[in-house]
Amino acid sequence: MGLWKRAWGIAAAAVLGTSLALAGCSSKSTEETSSPSSSGKQEITFWTPFSGADGPFMKKIVDNYNKQSDKYYVKFQIIPNGEYYKQVDLALSTGKKRPDLMIMHVDNIPTYQKKGQLQPVDDIAAKAGIKKEDYVEAPVKYATIDGKWYGIPLDIHPLVLYYNKDLFKAAGIDHPPTNREEFIEAAQKLTDKSKGQWGYVVPTLWPQQFIFPTVVGQNGAKLADEQGKPQLNSPEAVEALTFLKDLVYKYKVSPEKVAQDGEVTLFLQGKNAMQLNGPWMKDQFDKAKINYGVAPVPQLGTKQQAVQAGSHNFVIPKDVTDAKVLEGIGDFLKYVAGHSIDWAQSGQAVASKQVLASDEFKQLTKQQTIVAQEFDYAQFNPPIINWGAMTADLYKEINLVLLGQKDPQKALDEAQEKALQVK
Amino acid sequence: MEGNFNPHPASQAPIETPMNRSFQTRTVKSKWKSQFTSSLFVLPYLICFVAFLAYPLVYGIVMSFQDYELLSSKHAFVGLKNYIDIFKKGDYLHTSFFQGLLGTVKFVVYSVPFLIIVGLALALLVNSLPAKVRSVFRTIFFTPYAISASVMAVIFIRVFDTNAGLLNIVLSKFHLPSQIGWLTDLPWAWIALVGATLWWTIGFNMLIFINALNEVSEEMYEAAKIDGANAWQRFLYITLPSIRKIMIFIIITSTIASFNIYAQPFLMTRGGPGSETTVLLMNVFDVAFGQHKMGAASAMALLMALMIIVISIIQFRLTREREE
Repeated sequence: MGLWKRAWGIAAAAVLGTSLALAGCSSKSTEETSSPSSSGKQEITFWTPFSGADGPFMKKIVDNYNKQSDKYYVKFQIIPNGEYYKQVDLALSTGKKRPDLMIMHVDNIPTYQKKGQLQPVDDIAAKAGIKKEDYVEAPVKYATIDGKWYGIPLDIHPLVLYYNKDLFKAAGIDHPPTNREEFIEAAQKLTDKSKGQWGYVVPTLWPQQFIFPTVVGQNGAKLADEQGKPQLNSPEAVEALTFLKDLVYKYKVSPEKVAQDGEVTLFLQGKNAMQLNGPWMKDQFDKAKINYGVAPVPQLGTKQQAVQAGSHNFVIPKDVTDAKVLEGIGDFLKYVAGHSIDWAQSGQAVASKQVLASDEFKQLTKQQTIVAQEFDYAQFNPPIINWGAMTADLYKEINLVLLGQKDPQKALDEAQEKALQVK
Repeated sequence: MEGNFNPHPASQAPIETPMNRSFQTRTVKSKWKSQFTSSLFVLPYLICFVAFLAYPLVYGIVMSFQDYELLSSKHAFVGLKNYIDIFKKGDYLHTSFFQGLLGTVKFVVYSVPFLIIVGLALALLVNSLPAKVRSVFRTIFFTPYAISASVMAVIFIRVFDTNAGLLNIVLSKFHLPSQIGWLTDLPWAWIALVGATLWWTIGFNMLIFINALNEVSEEMYEAAKIDGANAWQRFLYITLPSIRKIMIFIIITSTIASFNIYAQPFLMTRGGPGSETTVLLMNVFDVAFGQHKMGAASAMALLMALMIIVISIIQFRLTREREE
């Protein structure tokens, strides 16, 4: 029967959509953005996930490099952010159409290194005259595994405090808070329920992946021990989560039931005075023409200053062996180290000490210099394979706690139990 | 042969003339030609079918029996291990699969009745409009179907936001409860997801229903009217039985579509509150690309496929039996 066949066909099609994506037949949606004129030059394929407002800034660096280099031509490719690692994984596993050079987040480096997908950059760096000391220590240390260096950092993006200057002025607060007491006091002053205005709207989903580890780190604890075992229900973690929950239910500086991006929407409407988010939000806030300020994240924990961060790094796939290509990569990286000021224009603070110390960098709008202040105590996710899977349930449990549906201790105990199931 | 009745004696061409013969050869030739051309039309589909359906399916089945680590070149054969893990209590895959399945099944149960009833209601509504504006409304209702998932999600995150969303603001203007956590509380999260899905996909079902309604013969309605049947009776005894086959088609396709739910919860609720709206495909993608375990993810996807096929068969059998 025709109908029957059709239903069958659709069932198969529906199901195969999944298999299809899994089998890696999905078409690559890369975008070539560089100009031609590669004639006679050695080509280097460079993959990045910069599909947002940051893309044009990296393109500018690559274009300028290509103009001044007579030996090498960097082919710049942007892969949509959400697709990036899927495409990278498929390219690396099949060995077809893989990049010669690519951007990788620092906390992914241990996983890809342990799976044997990356090559050390020590030799290339030495030949090109790139030294570890040229960069901020945290990402270099993190990307050095068994004495070998696997990623050359481009930037570090830690959590920062954004605040609405107009609301601060109206509440008579002259400086952004620097510790827990000041933070709660300011947030309470800034809250005016009758106007629907809040001191600090607590997100219940993303970017808790940056906020929660920051407060845990400030409490002096880590989410995993040296052996790589998760420590999601330590007393410090429970204290951190209880504090975040109290902001909503005890201090009442945040509305309840905050949905995805709810805190951003309220910030854009001038109804949320403070927000903890990443430096990548700058572009959106600038476009919305809010009178906002940037400050280091206050010490919300009880022990020390700390801040959760990410970092974009240049890595080289293992299979890249052509000496000429490797030489070209070195040449390009050396150029970037000296010219990453263009990247800083995007709102990011770069990892190159040379650029950080330059007058050009100091003259940038305030955000980048504030971000750079946090570099000394920046922390990254633990260097553990499958850390994402181990913490998937953690953030679901945190979601329930911040929605007032679960007790912090019980939630983190269950998150710990689930994390231990991941092999 | 006895009883060989030819309804078209003229086409037997009993008189052979040169002109006639040339005509005959031409038809034979053009018949062969046309058959060849028609098969050519199937070719692109066949190529796509093999490349994008048959090959991935076989590949997926093979992968599901392997310890297929995405970032490694060794893919050891492990037999049924991936499937056994899925059914082993306490295993990560077990939790991931069954917790996700529960979310998916809930969505199917909540969404399919509305996808059918609202689709049919819209079709009836549009069909009863004057011919001049009919196509305008048909287009309006169908337009969201062409919108991408991410755009749909951005729109509905803004509609359903608890503290700054359009819906709660409208409710507060009417002095109704306006602190509803559309994306953060139950049962609202499911209501929001079903609502967004209806807005996004209902145009397709509506179009199919409109076509079916146009096929129902006008005379039957006329006759029923003369017999004194009211509108409800005409709908129940003429419309519904006449569109039965299309109805079955819509039930099955809507169920399959709802089983494949992914984008709405992934983008709107992120699977929350907690893991309440986390659906199976989200977990399959997590295992595949988050943990690089392609083999295990393929096993999960294939079990899901099997379930969809079984459910489609049951639905089809149930509806067919009544027909016989």
